[in-house]
Amino acid sequence: MMPAQSIWMIRSALLYLILSVSLGTIILIQKVINLHPFIWALLSSHYEMAIWGWIVQLAMGTAYWMFPKKLDDPRRGPEWAGWLVFGCFNTGLILLVISTLFQSVTYAAAFGRGLILISIVIFAILMWQRIVTYRNLH
Amino acid sequence: MPTTTRWFIKSGVVYFILGITLAFLAEFPSLTDNLSLLPIYWHMLVMGWITQLIIGVSIWMFPRKHRDKKKRESILVWASFWTLNIGLILRFISEPFIPIIEDHYIIKVSITLSALLQWIAVILYAIEIWPRLQNRKKGGRSKA
Repeated sequence: MMPAQSIWMIRSALLYLILSVSLGTIILIQKVINLHPFIWALLSSHYEMAIWGWIVQLAMGTAYWMFPKKLDDPRRGPEWAGWLVFGCFNTGLILLVISTLFQSVTYAAAFGRGLILISIVIFAILMWQRIVTYRNLH
Repeated sequence: MPTTTRWFIKSGVVYFILGITLAFLAEFPSLTDNLSLLPIYWHMLVMGWITQLIIGVSIWMFPRKHRDKKKRESILVWASFWTLNIGLILRFISEPFIPIIEDHYIIKVSITLSALLQWIAVILYAIEIWPRLQNRKKGGRSKA
């Protein structure tokens, strides 16, 4: 059964895929038809959303769902920790994207990357205990 | 493993090999003079390889909501496969030549069509996979 945290991480990843490809579509067309010079400023957001929002977040959501669960409850670690991973990661990424779009928003990139760092450390702690095999248990 | 999954993954492996080949060729500037290869290399890896691998595996592994609507789902998935791959091929044969023949209408049409096809592919994939992201305990397995 897919946990709610994974559902939301994968849904969010899909939204970032759509956003990133939408920006990519406009940027690619801008290469041959001059729509607006500002469009080149979207390039960093396109990268960040594709790599962090889509690929990394989808991998995290799927791993949280599919890795071996612990034998005692809570089997995927504390639920609040899973939500904290989702919340910090997405808040951080939104701040990061805002910082790439509007250079005047000071500290947004640092806050954003800091929140992503926190979420990934929590995610690593949660997953570390689940990188196991139960094959030799019996 | 479903047929669509195999097609996505095999196509992904082809782009993976092409992407790495391109990175190798880019080490010889005399062969690639004036061609815009860096965006091609990145998109072969990120869209051609990683994204197609993810799409293929998710279509296979993610829970199905409506098993009785398998046919409709497979039409969406096939449409996503062909729009994505035609879009990528158009891009990869056109984009390197933008610096050389920027104003030619064939390049403009090809690039615009490629961009729109890739966008449509992603939307079709999202329509297919979104309903399958569910907690079965709460709403998936009703007998009605």
